[in-house]
Amino acid sequence: MSGTNQISFLQAFTAQLICGLGLAVAFWVARNFYSIDLISDPCPTLRLLSIVETPIVILVYSWFRLNPQECSYLKAVARSILAFPLGALLIALGAIALGAPIHIEYLSKTIFYSLLMSSFTFVPAAAVFGTSWTHWQRIFAHTKPTEAIEYMICIQAYGAVIGAWFGAWPMPLDWERPWQEWPICVSYGAIGGYLVGFVASLGFVIAGHGHHLKKE
Amino acid sequence: MTELTCTKLTLLTLTAILIQSIGLSVFVFGFFPVKSALSGASGPESFFPPGSHERPTDDLPPQQLKSLYQELSGIPPLFDRIILMVIDGLPAEFVLGKGGKPPRSDLKEAMPYLQSLLSNGLAVGYHAKAAPPTVTMPRLKAMVSGAIGGFLDVAFNFNTQALLDDNLLGQLFRIGWKMVMLGDETWLKLFPELFMRHDGVSSFFVKDTIQVDQNVSRHLKHELSMDDWNLLILHYLGVDHVGHIGGRNSVLMIPKLFEMDEVVKMIHLRTILNQVNDARKTLLVVVSDHGMTENGNHGGSSYEETDSLVLFIGLNRIIDDYASATIQSVSQVDITPTLAVLSGVPIPKNNVGFLISAPFDSFPDDKKLRALELNSWQLLRLVKAQLPDLSCRNFVHVARANGQKITGNCSGHIEEVLCCLYLNASDLYHSWLSNETFGEHVTATVAAYYEFLKTSNEWLSRRVTDKPVGVLTFGVAAMTISCLILTSLIIWMARTVYSGEKQQSSNLSNWMHGWCINEIFVLGIILIFVMSMGSSSMVEEEQYIWHFMISTSYLLLLRKVIQSLPVESAVNLLEILRGPNGVNTYKFCSIFFLLISGRILRGWHQGGVNWAHLPDISKWLEQAGSHFLRSIVLVSGIFVISLGLFALSQLKSRRKFCQVVGVFILIPGLLVLWHIIVRGSNELWLSSHGATTLLQAIFAFLGISTIGTSVGLPWLMPVSVSSCSAQQSNLSTLVSVDPEYKSCLVEFRDSLYMMGLAYILSWCLLQLLLQQPINAMPISLLLTQILSTMVYSYHSRPRHKEWVEVALLYYTGMAGHFALGNSNTLATIDVAGAFIGLSSYSSLLSGILMFLITYASPTLVLLSLVIYISLKDDSYLASPKNVEFGNLLKLMLGFPCLIPLGLNSVLLTAYTIVLLLMRNHLFIWSVFSPKYLYVCATTVCVYVGVFVVAATGMYTYAVLMFRRKVLATNRIR
Repeated sequence: MSGTNQISFLQAFTAQLICGLGLAVAFWVARNFYSIDLISDPCPTLRLLSIVETPIVILVYSWFRLNPQECSYLKAVARSILAFPLGALLIALGAIALGAPIHIEYLSKTIFYSLLMSSFTFVPAAAVFGTSWTHWQRIFAHTKPTEAIEYMICIQAYGAVIGAWFGAWPMPLDWERPWQEWPICVSYGAIGGYLVGFVASLGFVIAGHGHHLKKE
Repeated sequence: MTELTCTKLTLLTLTAILIQSIGLSVFVFGFFPVKSALSGASGPESFFPPGSHERPTDDLPPQQLKSLYQELSGIPPLFDRIILMVIDGLPAEFVLGKGGKPPRSDLKEAMPYLQSLLSNGLAVGYHAKAAPPTVTMPRLKAMVSGAIGGFLDVAFNFNTQALLDDNLLGQLFRIGWKMVMLGDETWLKLFPELFMRHDGVSSFFVKDTIQVDQNVSRHLKHELSMDDWNLLILHYLGVDHVGHIGGRNSVLMIPKLFEMDEVVKMIHLRTILNQVNDARKTLLVVVSDHGMTENGNHGGSSYEETDSLVLFIGLNRIIDDYASATIQSVSQVDITPTLAVLSGVPIPKNNVGFLISAPFDSFPDDKKLRALELNSWQLLRLVKAQLPDLSCRNFVHVARANGQKITGNCSGHIEEVLCCLYLNASDLYHSWLSNETFGEHVTATVAAYYEFLKTSNEWLSRRVTDKPVGVLTFGVAAMTISCLILTSLIIWMARTVYSGEKQQSSNLSNWMHGWCINEIFVLGIILIFVMSMGSSSMVEEEQYIWHFMISTSYLLLLRKVIQSLPVESAVNLLEILRGPNGVNTYKFCSIFFLLISGRILRGWHQGGVNWAHLPDISKWLEQAGSHFLRSIVLVSGIFVISLGLFALSQLKSRRKFCQVVGVFILIPGLLVLWHIIVRGSNELWLSSHGATTLLQAIFAFLGISTIGTSVGLPWLMPVSVSSCSAQQSNLSTLVSVDPEYKSCLVEFRDSLYMMGLAYILSWCLLQLLLQQPINAMPISLLLTQILSTMVYSYHSRPRHKEWVEVALLYYTGMAGHFALGNSNTLATIDVAGAFIGLSSYSSLLSGILMFLITYASPTLVLLSLVIYISLKDDSYLASPKNVEFGNLLKLMLGFPCLIPLGLNSVLLTAYTIVLLLMRNHLFIWSVFSPKYLYVCATTVCVYVGVFVVAATGMYTYAVLMFRRKVLATNRIR
């Protein structure tokens, strides 16, 4: 299967596992070394999460880049690093359009939230697809992934976005809980959706493998 | 499937609307209790225990009745002159402070005399909790009759009617008290014949804060020197008006409070300190009917609005410390029994309040207990009227037979509890009477009476009146049926259009496969709203959901546009984004405009309840100063006019007509700008005569230009009958009719476009006049949003997805409704605006104006549907099959009319069911019922809007067809 980037279930699983472990480690470090959590100190925690998670995602997904012969590993890393702030900008604009506060005191929170979201969505896609806009369109606009790696990227990204969308629901309610603040429950929703996306995409990868075998 | 003809569609829709409106009105009258009151007035029987002495007495002359009451009650009236000073809208917090803390120092300094009375123990004040709705008339009724009014009293607030139920003033009148009323003329409407002298002030000119109070105070010296009256009512409106104009912290507030303080000082010095002899004792009661929110509005049930004041000045007893004179709270209805007992009349029949303790502290024990007994007899009578089977006697017999002493804890069914509490108290009282022991026994008896009074008061005021189940079921069933009819009509319509379209172009995908995510989401929005309506906090914060939903749908639209980008063929990113003929650029730009202006609109007013205090653009602008605001209003006025003229100039084929229509819009537009400039430079100008004349002129201009355009345009539009001639016989049989037909369509669309623009521009100009200045910018942003949606829909197809766009427009309108500062509480209704441009009071006109202001945004959107119709792609409509007269109308008007009706009926029906389910919820009157009133008003708004759209479409089409026919026949001759 050289030439294409058809990946095995084991590879997919390992990639997911590493990314998931990255998140877990980030949370663990936040709790035990800095004794902060998302509710009490959203900014430092979100920053820590992106600092830990983004390099992992970049390094892992650059392995699965399209056309590995023409595109070197370093190039994939470089373009995903470039996509990190650009994606964050788009995410931040989207969040503001959906009602995220634009008051100056929330600015840093919005930035760190968007960076984390970017590493869930844009960074892996940039690492794998680069500037192949057809892939971007097919996967994000049409939601029609065909291969294992596409399933992984698409479902995780959608999981994070949809999770964040649902996470915003408790915000206007009058429960007077500290986690109703922007962007705490939205981040929880995003991380939850991302993790659900892990499991779901693994399922699709297995199903996809079965499909392929049948075809052959 | 049978063919859905235009007539059939219209008839079915009309039937559905009819069923819906019948069901709605039946439900409203069934659900909202029109207060069921005991008729008649309390007489001498109220001095006997319930059930013992119920025969009505003959009408006695006042003096005899007075002495009879005095003899029977055993309590000599403590006061024979009462001055009731009502300060409209004064929050008790201003005088008494909040939570045990004294008021802010500037407020304290604003009322020095009142504060000195309080701190010297000469006055005692209470926080009197007012029941919602906190508007003047129901509150006055509550104060004088002691009854908590029905919810719909709000609707009658602008249409005051005489109070026929038993009330304090009627009782006093019956024993010959002479009454004088100065101030708000609501009193004169409530009691048309009662006052010996009166000077009513209209609450009509909300912008006037000086004259209203001068009109009251100018008589005061004279009246205070007279001694022919027993009850003097002073109703000062100034504080309320100041609040409506500038909110709690208005610069006018402190001087106004000082003015009120001067009035109190004058009354106190002249009457109470100056009592000639003990025979004529005067009591000054200062009350407020309701409080006000931070913005000066009222109507809802927040603490700020319900926190009203009762202050007694002139009691015998001197209160020791400031804290106990200010901290206690009572209920507003408690004023009635207290004043009744103090003045020696029976407590009004429907009273649910109980005696305020302070005035009775100076009473000897026997009188105090007797007063409590009278109060509890009256409440017991009222309870018995609600629970006809209640008979404490059976209960006491059983208890006595078992040899129990009826004391201690009462539990069980409410009837038993009330009986038990009552018997406890009366037993204690009787044993006290027989033994004449003093001390603790009295305290225990008083406590026992208060326990009974409190329990029955709570029960009576919370009691949900029996709802007629049959009527409610009928209402809900009718609404459900009409909802089903409308929904199936929409589905039918969609199928018809789809099948027609499929014949036209075969490359359409399958009906079911054509569903994409934004369509599912648009449907999902309804579902989400239906679910969110069940939660009171979601209802309170509805504006967030609308904005969240609407911007999510815009983002999904963006996704759809990205889907259609020709990624493969294009060379670079820029070319991809442009698309063929720049279509994608248009689409992208319109969606970005929608998103940006939607976000600004959302940030304009931090509405709702819980987060209303957070900073928003309107608060920021108000802080930035009136100069800044003025220029923003002016800019948005100019923006609206130029945007409108620009949109008009886009219709290149009818340049001449566009110029005429443009002039029609420009004249009132310039007048509006002039009005804005003058209004901005002089605050007081608004209440002057010149302003009213100018406003009426503008109203007339707007009306004439809109109606003139819509009536005249179809007649003036040049109709081109091409040379091919056979079309007059029977249009539907001819195939050669195609080009001819197309030209007719073009005329139809062009005139609709101009008419629609005239509608929405006149509407925006009207709103610029009526809305508060702060809302001028949101109006222009809404116009931007609507025009952007139009640009987007112009470039999108296919036609059977039209419903998505109409639904989105409708949602935009609802989101805009909240962006204009509306909410689901009655407090945000802009009362001040309802009198703009009226030279005399008319409840109908100001009601209409209030409706226009509140429903500015949904109506704007509905009117814009006329433009929408004209913009849709017509290539498919021009097929020979559709030549038939009705078919085309059906295809063009079907969705724009059916979708708003259908959406509204779903929401209405769902919310009706929610309201029924929530009828025992704690917030039923404060959250759910006001929201229901808004839902009903939205329904009316949708009816009106859809009617305008349908009528415009049909009229234009009919006129054009008629002229075409006439022309053709002429030519043949």
